[in-house]
Amino acid sequence: MSSATTTDASHAAPAGEHGHGHQYPFLAHHFDTPVHQFDSAKLGMWIFIATEILMFGGLFVAYGIFRGQEPEMFRMAHERLDRIMGAVNTVVLLFSSLTAALAVRQSQVGDRKGTTRWLVITLICAVIFLVVKFFEYQHKFHDGLLPGHYFQAHLQQFAHHGHVLPQRAHMFFALYFMMTGLHGVHVLIGMGVLSWVLKQNLDGKISKQFFTPVEIGALYWHLVDLVWIYLFPLLYLVG
Amino acid sequence: MMSTATSEHTSDHAHADDHDNGEVHAHVSSPLFMIAIFAALIVLTVITVAVSYVDLGAANTLVAMIIATTKAALVATFFMHLKGDKAIHTIILLGALLFLGIFLGLSNDDLSTRTRVDIDNGARVLERTGAAAPGGLPVFTPPAAPAGAAPAAGAAGHH
Repeated sequence: MSSATTTDASHAAPAGEHGHGHQYPFLAHHFDTPVHQFDSAKLGMWIFIATEILMFGGLFVAYGIFRGQEPEMFRMAHERLDRIMGAVNTVVLLFSSLTAALAVRQSQVGDRKGTTRWLVITLICAVIFLVVKFFEYQHKFHDGLLPGHYFQAHLQQFAHHGHVLPQRAHMFFALYFMMTGLHGVHVLIGMGVLSWVLKQNLDGKISKQFFTPVEIGALYWHLVDLVWIYLFPLLYLVG
Repeated sequence: MMSTATSEHTSDHAHADDHDNGEVHAHVSSPLFMIAIFAALIVLTVITVAVSYVDLGAANTLVAMIIATTKAALVATFFMHLKGDKAIHTIILLGALLFLGIFLGLSNDDLSTRTRVDIDNGARVLERTGAAAPGGLPVFTPPAAPAGAAPAAGAAGHH
């Protein structure tokens, strides 16, 4: 369904110069038009997002089943999480989603400096998120609030204001570390993706006509935000 | 910057975006609008934290999930540009959520109607008799648990 002139331009390319026979240096030779390439990238990314939702879904289902069966244990165990730190990280991630969206917006209007600025701010937010998470994890380790086999917070020497947790609370912390851990890995990968997008932008490969890397990278970052939007109330705000 | 020589293109390219030259034309949102969406997300976060301090019983979780879903919908619709985008992207997202719902619903239906967990030792027991349920993994016991110290909520005074 390509326009006749684009096809002609492609055919006019010298043999061996795949995809460079037309006026779009960013257009891969197996796509007819820039919009064809852009739509394909976005479709692929959304299918990937669906698989990511289903991967986290396994953990959400485990959470739902265990919480349904041991609601009181979940309530007691979650009180050991710091909801202020959780809320701070929520705000940081929501803000980083805004800045990622602004980076896309600036790339759409061809503002290279603006794109760079918002990408850098997004990356700084990611670092802040991980630093807060580091201090949270460190505190949990110190209090014996570890998953499964390593859980010790049911022992008297780990009593918190004179209270010990039921030993079954090892399940809550197994879920806590797996869910926030998998999410944390996604934050790290997202930082890698956005750094690569930043480099593409600094190298001048992003333009008003071709902002696909910014758009797709931001979609991944929004997914990281989406997962956290559910993790925060489920882990930090149990009844 | 790319060449803008597109005027010679004829318009036989029928695309949903009603642009006829095959180039990507973004639906650019205004920064102020995006900041307004962010403000709404922050307000919802404050509400969900505030509500968590009020004891509504089982409704607490329901309210938290409704607020989280509203936030997720705002992010997906406006930051992820589902609004004004091709419908297939929304269908893919909703499809993933549909199958997640089936996964959660049927798994929970199965497990919650067969056995329950004995809070004292974590063993799965039969709903009617309280006897240990057949099958499953052996009950895990963390090391050096003082006998009888674990069960009650906030049972402090052992030792």
